[in-house]
Amino acid sequence: MRSPLTRRIPREIGSEWKKYFALFAIMTIVIGFVSGMFVANDSMETAALNAYDKYNIEDGHFNLKEEASDKLIEAIEKEDITVYKQFYKEVSEGKNTVRVFVIRDKVNKPCIMEGELPSKDNEIAIDRMHAANIGVTVNDEIEVDGKMMRITGLFALPDYSTLFEDNTDVMFNAMTFDIGLVTEDAFEKLGEDTVYQYAFTYKDAPADTEVQKELSDDLVERLYILAATGGDEDNPDLEHLNEVTGYVPEYVNQAIHFAPEDMGSDKAMGEVLLIILIAVIAFIFAITESNTIINEASVIGTLRASGYTKAEMLRHYIAVPIIVTLHAAIVGNVLGYTVFKEVVVMMYYNSYSLPTYETLWNIDAFVKTTVYPSILVILINFIVIRSKLSFSPLKFLRRDLSRSKRKKAIRLPKWRFLNRFRIRVLMQNATGYFTLALGIFFVMILLGFAVGLPSTLANYQKHAPDYMIADYQYILKSLQDSDGNDITTKEPSAEKYSSRGLLTVDGVHIGEEVTAYGYIEDSDYFSIDGTVDKDEVWVSSPFADKFGLEEGQTITLKEKYTSDEYVFTIAGIYDQEGIVAIFMPNDNFNKVFDYDEGHYTGFLSDAEITDIDEDYILSVVTVEDILKMVRQLDHSMGGYMDYFAVGCLILAMLLILLLTKIIIEKNTVSISMLKVLGYTSGEINSIFIRLTTVMVVIFSVIGAWLSTFVLMQMWRAVMADLSGWFEFYIAPKDYLKMIMIVIVAYIVVLFFDIRRIKRIPMTEALKSVE
Amino acid sequence: MPDKFLEVRDIHKAFGTGDSRQEVLRGTDFSVAKGEFCVLLGPSGSGKSTLLNIIGGIDGADSGYISIDGEKLKDMNEKALTNYRRKHLGYVFQLYNLIPNLNVKENIEVGAYLSDNPLDIDDLLKTLGLYEHRHKLPNQLSGGQQQRTSIGRAIIKNPNILLCDEPTGALDYNTSKEILGLIEDVNKRYGNTIIMVTHNEAISHMADHTIKLRDGKVRKDIINENKISAKEIDW
Repeated sequence: MRSPLTRRIPREIGSEWKKYFALFAIMTIVIGFVSGMFVANDSMETAALNAYDKYNIEDGHFNLKEEASDKLIEAIEKEDITVYKQFYKEVSEGKNTVRVFVIRDKVNKPCIMEGELPSKDNEIAIDRMHAANIGVTVNDEIEVDGKMMRITGLFALPDYSTLFEDNTDVMFNAMTFDIGLVTEDAFEKLGEDTVYQYAFTYKDAPADTEVQKELSDDLVERLYILAATGGDEDNPDLEHLNEVTGYVPEYVNQAIHFAPEDMGSDKAMGEVLLIILIAVIAFIFAITESNTIINEASVIGTLRASGYTKAEMLRHYIAVPIIVTLHAAIVGNVLGYTVFKEVVVMMYYNSYSLPTYETLWNIDAFVKTTVYPSILVILINFIVIRSKLSFSPLKFLRRDLSRSKRKKAIRLPKWRFLNRFRIRVLMQNATGYFTLALGIFFVMILLGFAVGLPSTLANYQKHAPDYMIADYQYILKSLQDSDGNDITTKEPSAEKYSSRGLLTVDGVHIGEEVTAYGYIEDSDYFSIDGTVDKDEVWVSSPFADKFGLEEGQTITLKEKYTSDEYVFTIAGIYDQEGIVAIFMPNDNFNKVFDYDEGHYTGFLSDAEITDIDEDYILSVVTVEDILKMVRQLDHSMGGYMDYFAVGCLILAMLLILLLTKIIIEKNTVSISMLKVLGYTSGEINSIFIRLTTVMVVIFSVIGAWLSTFVLMQMWRAVMADLSGWFEFYIAPKDYLKMIMIVIVAYIVVLFFDIRRIKRIPMTEALKSVE
Repeated sequence: MPDKFLEVRDIHKAFGTGDSRQEVLRGTDFSVAKGEFCVLLGPSGSGKSTLLNIIGGIDGADSGYISIDGEKLKDMNEKALTNYRRKHLGYVFQLYNLIPNLNVKENIEVGAYLSDNPLDIDDLLKTLGLYEHRHKLPNQLSGGQQQRTSIGRAIIKNPNILLCDEPTGALDYNTSKEILGLIEDVNKRYGNTIIMVTHNEAISHMADHTIKLRDGKVRKDIINENKISAKEIDW
């Protein structure tokens, strides 16, 4: 015979449908979203992985100063690689920049998302995401290099799934940077200089990244030698001497790896958030069931006295949480595969230029969003309910479910009666208020992110000029003009300096670019006093912060394109926000990097230098360059933050509503008794509502403060995967905003709580008197 | 004494420690025959409810023992005690303790579930006069109807022993008599041993056996040769 108690379950759910629906809704949305994220991420990651074969993704690429001779290509291909031409020109696209390639058909082949590849000189296909960002589509015309071209198609290139203009950029830039494909004739007609880029693939695919790295290190050294000798080491081809100007192996190419890695870390974060929220909900269930057990103590006592076992009672009381969780998991998964997957895909397509994908059934998503939450709910409820049911039948019959051996109540100071009453209510509902604190803390973490990210970006934007060593940072192509005269400037603020890009070899982020600066004596731009030895450097404060560096420690950095390593001792931390860099006197710089005495790289200047011919300038870094990152982050995530904050408000409302409902329900008899005794609604509210109000405010303030620490750690983990470093910033007004959002949520809940208290009949107290 | 189905031997039970220690049962000693209707009578604080709880295996004695059909409760572990209650005992309390969101029939089924061979539920509902009310929830019933339901829940599994703790304590005179009549019927019809705790001396006149308790001791152990029916008793 089936236990007749099971018939109570649908009625229990029916009678408390609002509470269970709220729990169901929260769980469904969270499970749905995380499931959608898992499905979308894994499907897209699989598509990205398959892209290696499908679109023949390169194993790396290198840039040469001049087009390689056949002899050089032949020599390079002897290094067990196949080389493909991948020349490009960077030209204007209205106010933006487009990197134009000839249509590729052998390596890094495009995935056409819409339309087709161009076939005429006045046609171009461009990146799908950039097109969406600037609001153009197939058949629209755009100005490329001053001429109008028709867009024939939108694509995703596998080597530009994230639009990094340069592999050392802190952040990608899909706003002002585009990539395009044109016919060979159209390419020839473009005005700018050709960048001689060559993609390569290994003839024998390396087994793993470790092997790939070893092969790459060997290859880059060989490339330098072969290019510098025109392809013949023993007998240099003096007419075709060349130079490697860039080298990026596939495994460090952010344009290829950033998106899949970001999706991976999103998944990890989603998983953590899911577990935390499910744990909070599991506790809400546990408290609900615990209160039901207290209310039904005499019935349980009777049933236990009649022979019902503890296990039977446990199965009965744990049934509702399990049923609600399983239904939420099922509906959540269905929504995950349908609605939420699309939402997540939209979010990724808004940030990354990913190829088409096929939705894959994901066992991992099912396990993590169905099995894990169910186990968590069962486990927490099992522990709480089992502990609650461990009392003897007699104790249940006597409604004596206290473990305290205390004979007398804790003495309270001689406060006003109502204050003492409130303290008693607080003590009696300690578990409920603890879960309320936990729920608010969880919401605060989410809110901290929602309000903190825009603030962080705004803060970065505001202080970006301070992060610049100088307003203009010029790198010269050579130190002498065509006549052999030294290049100089009359700009009074200009100062010579040196810089060089190095990479980290260990620490939180291997392969992070660290700029080595050389400064002149009595520099106006570097306030570093004292002398340092040749192997000593100052490190920038963000570098020290991110990698946990301290004075006296040694650091090892390597050249970007060779395996040469440098070991430095840290002479001190230099307070230069916004950049990951090391600093040394220019004389030391020249000695370390084997330059002639007096060598420098360019000029730092607080005003634009107008008296140096543009032909001699390799690049200029201004504040605009570092703001690109902020704009991209703002575009990718900033827009969602307001919606996210509204979501947090609703979540806060539901959690507070559920928890205060539980607390009021637990005190139903007391409230009813107070009514019988003649207490007014105002007095009753002042005991129960005012206490909860004070608690919500206290928890909000503490939660907002505590959440910062969690967010800082989360941010640190996020930034560890990115190049560069900046602090997560929550302004004082943001704390206020976070607290206000929770309080607004509570004010809405307050209306329901007051109504709930008002509806408690006086008969409740009379019914319960034994 | 015909046989000793239930034996209560030298039961001692105290609550509290030190100055607040209070001895509730002080060597209580009696036995009950199978099928007997036994009333534990005594004033408030005489230890009768404590004794009932010890007989029911939901409380333990400090010393002494209870034996049912030769089996001592103190030799049973918790699982065996649960099983003992499941198979042999039915409980009726003063405050009914019905499950609020199960109807009358379902509340009785809660008892039936525990038995391999329960009584016919519809027959029992008719016997209890609850058949017409079987779909009602407890809060739609009068006190008497609720107590009849709780009796139904206790006897549906046809227990050897029916323990009743002040079953009429919360009821008016007429309803009390009606419930007592029902318990009398149950005893006759199913032959269960009934042990009823009450402070109402009139009820003892309808019992086969009356144990008068005072200060935790049996003051009188009376076999009632001239018992009267529930209808005839008065107070």
